[in-house]
Amino acid sequence: MNKFLRTLLPADIAKGLSVTGKHFSQVFFTANRRKVPFHIVSEYPEVPAKVQPRFRGRLTMLKDEQGVIKCICCLACEKICPTQVITIEKGKQEGRKMPYPVRYDFEMERCIFCEFCVESCGFDAIILNHQFELAAYNREDFSLGTVGLDQNMFEPSHVGKFSVADD
Amino acid sequence: MFKNEEMEINLGPQHPSTHGVLRVKLRLDGETVTHCRPMIGYLHRGVEKICENQSFFQGQVWTDRMDYCSAVANNLGWAEANEKLFGITVPRRAQYIRTLLNEFNRIASHLIWLGTHAMDIGALTVFLYAFREREDVLDINEAFCGSRLTTTAFRIGGLREDLPPGFEKMVRKFLAKFSDCLEEYENLLTENRIWKKRTIGVARLSAEDAIALGVTGPMLRAAGVAYDIRKAFPYAAYAEMDFEIPTRPEADTYARYQVRMAEMRQSARIIQQCMDGMPEGPVMAKLPKILRSEVNEVYHATESPKGEIGYYLVGEKGSLNPYRFHVRAPGFINLQSLPKMAEGGLIADVVAAIGSLDIVLGEIDR
Repeated sequence: MNKFLRTLLPADIAKGLSVTGKHFSQVFFTANRRKVPFHIVSEYPEVPAKVQPRFRGRLTMLKDEQGVIKCICCLACEKICPTQVITIEKGKQEGRKMPYPVRYDFEMERCIFCEFCVESCGFDAIILNHQFELAAYNREDFSLGTVGLDQNMFEPSHVGKFSVADD
Repeated sequence: MFKNEEMEINLGPQHPSTHGVLRVKLRLDGETVTHCRPMIGYLHRGVEKICENQSFFQGQVWTDRMDYCSAVANNLGWAEANEKLFGITVPRRAQYIRTLLNEFNRIASHLIWLGTHAMDIGALTVFLYAFREREDVLDINEAFCGSRLTTTAFRIGGLREDLPPGFEKMVRKFLAKFSDCLEEYENLLTENRIWKKRTIGVARLSAEDAIALGVTGPMLRAAGVAYDIRKAFPYAAYAEMDFEIPTRPEADTYARYQVRMAEMRQSARIIQQCMDGMPEGPVMAKLPKILRSEVNEVYHATESPKGEIGYYLVGEKGSLNPYRFHVRAPGFINLQSLPKMAEGGLIADVVAAIGSLDIVLGEIDR
């Protein structure tokens, strides 16, 4: 019985509540969270999240200064990919000595964002950009490429365009 | 009228306190557990077989996904096992950075354990506090290798890149506040009457039983056996570090809590030493373009936050991929001690026992 009564000590309850009160008052008197640096959480969809410079986001192809695709179809990225999400079709383009990728397909639904492809590329033709909001409604939206309607290997894709931060 | 009948129930596979899809078959006599068997295999992905079909270089991404709470520790084991297989010497600066990240990973893994274990037992606040500091560790991961959870941090032969600019500042900032944070957790738990009642004397596992079952890591050290692979078979830069192996003689859930808290302090100490004594130089050894193995076999064990994680690799002549790959997962072997701990106790203590094991089902089922 004595033991049970000790569990109801008001001193313990007050101690616990004082911690809660301290944190509550900190938040309560600084209501606008955007301006307060010591808050640990941020209002994410309204305030865009910052990522580190090395962040591994979605695979993107690069073009050089003349707007020509840098990729020369060495197939290194296709071979190194642990989940085989890259498919390249080699071809020729008029006025270009190097092979030209007729198709460069990227199946994002299976991509694991390991950056092995970028590491293997000797021509700096691909990078992983900083896009991380990659949800979409349809499975087809994850099949990216260089030809056809899904020509979005060069800029941030329509996948993720439903983010609140863009509105 | 009052028949003495035993009841069989399942804890899991989708139970919040089983840390994944673990099913525990329990036979109960009232509230006392008379029989307990963990059932595993719900998260089996065949990681070992996938790795056998991929090159040595590619295999690392699968080790991230075994124990996703301590991906860096798994990467380290994989990279070092391969370096042993091919006879590669890693530059000293790379060794130091590996040690540094591995200890950060230990802190992150133990913080997850602390938060979820305390939440299982009923202390919700610690979870939020622990995840606050874990966020900083994940930011450090992100700054170094670009990913937060599935890091793929190291390469065979060293590292992909050197430390990023501003990395040291992040680490120093974390170290400056971390000991205060640990005190904050301990204020919430160590002398907490409910916490002590739920953990002291609960789920005992004696040193003899632990050794007989092959249990390693904090579970074994909480039973009074000072066995740590970082000291027993030093790897990376641990031979040059000054740290202690915390042990407790009680072998109960409270002792495991104390051991893991002390380990986080030691990890912070190792990070401090790594940062102070960071040598200059290259971070990648000279490697052949394609790694082809000889007929050779290698077992390399490292101390992951959960215990001894061992990689067994068999090479084939001229092959690009391992002939056989096997993982000695600490979670899988530690889980075998659950019947020993739970049988004879109350059903509420099974949850405490599972929590104190610190298991991740991705690693157990692989």
